Amino acid sequence: MNHTLRISPRLFALVPAAVAINLVVGTIVKELSLPVFLDTVGTVLVAVLAGWRAGALVGTVSQLLLGLLTGYQYLPFVVIQWLLSLLASFAANRRGFTKLWRTVLWGIAAGACCGAVSSVISYYFFGGITGGGVSWVVTGLRSLGASQPMAVFVGSSSTDILDKGIVIVVVGFVLRSLPRRILGRFPMAARAVGK
Amino acid sequence: MNSLARQAHPFTAGTVTLALVALALVFPTAAETVVLYGVTIVIALLAGAGAGVRRGLVAVLPIWILLFILKCVLGDGPRMAAPWGGTLSQPGVEWALSQGSRLAVIATASLAFASIFDPHRFLQAAIARRWPFGAAFLLVATLDAADRLGEQAHQLREAQRTRGVRVTGSMATRVRAFPALMFPLLLASLTEADDRALALETRGLMIQGPRTAVDPPTDRVIDRVVRWLALTCVICVVIWRVRS
Repeated sequence: MNHTLRISPRLFALVPAAVAINLVVGTIVKELSLPVFLDTVGTVLVAVLAGWRAGALVGTVSQLLLGLLTGYQYLPFVVIQWLLSLLASFAANRRGFTKLWRTVLWGIAAGACCGAVSSVISYYFFGGITGGGVSWVVTGLRSLGASQPMAVFVGSSSTDILDKGIVIVVVGFVLRSLPRRILGRFPMAARAVGK
Repeated sequence: MNSLARQAHPFTAGTVTLALVALALVFPTAAETVVLYGVTIVIALLAGAGAGVRRGLVAVLPIWILLFILKCVLGDGPRMAAPWGGTLSQPGVEWALSQGSRLAVIATASLAFASIFDPHRFLQAAIARRWPFGAAFLLVATLDAADRLGEQAHQLREAQRTRGVRVTGSMATRVRAFPALMFPLLLASLTEADDRALALETRGLMIQGPRTAVDPPTDRVIDRVVRWLALTCVICVVIWRVRS
């Protein structure tokens, strides 16, 4: 795994683009009224292209900028961006983006891990009420008689498996369709797709 | 509009925002956080950041509704009479008030800061203070990239719609529209980043050493006093919280 983060001109150009991807894809999803967020596509993409530290940097800057648009109350969820970056980078090193089925499996695994951590953050920082679609799932489960911790865990895990799973699959498609000229400059990404 | 906050040094607004967020996290009870929310609104209005107050309210309103349902109506513990009949959970009401106002302070303070944030002045202030140029550059370049990519996304959506892609309708229709809107955008931004890297390298981004701010904002005495007051206030509250 790539453990060093050298801020090269390429990374200086890539990080703003990836953060913008996070923000803009999130907006497209909202405009299409899809029941997911997909606001971590840029984070996963950079984690696979340039290593988990670069991905974590993208995640942190994204969360800080998102705070300028929606408020900094969601800042604790930056941990999810770091974890996802780490998992995506790990998947890339294990050639997890070579085939669709491998990408789907890595997506589900990453979603389950992120969902578990997300439910802990959601429960301890917000009492399970974050104001997003997940909170309505939690409210529904509570009204059906589930305990608060259980409702938060099920709500966060199920939405994160779907959300992060789709993100990783989308990044897999993008990586496989990248021109060789660009892929050749990112050896980790080339290895991830088996080229 | 040349509001009080826009005249201030960029670090002053940031420091006051951070202080309000810190106080919201340190204050333990509902009474204190509700008062702090009031103080935050007054500061934002006085500083000319009323847009932040409105946007903060919009951001926290769904959370307040959910807090009411989950903690007050469905909450456990001793019950108290609701003014409209029925009962509410007493600890739930206290928790909802405390958490609701705490989140409202954080949202309002940060959105008020965002409404008066000027990336150019911030970059100039950061260079004048000898902050790491890379960090300041990343922030400003990202804001610029987000605007540019947002505009590209809009153009792309219009182009795809003229080709027959439908962005409204059933869930299946909207899901089908998603790849057509997203993949060209992702590939274009990656290609552009590659070209931009070359431009940054040729313009000396990686050159080490101090840089000169072309137009540094004035750091007045009042700015320094406000920043020190905010810091002192947070330290005093933390000491009070630790000792109580």
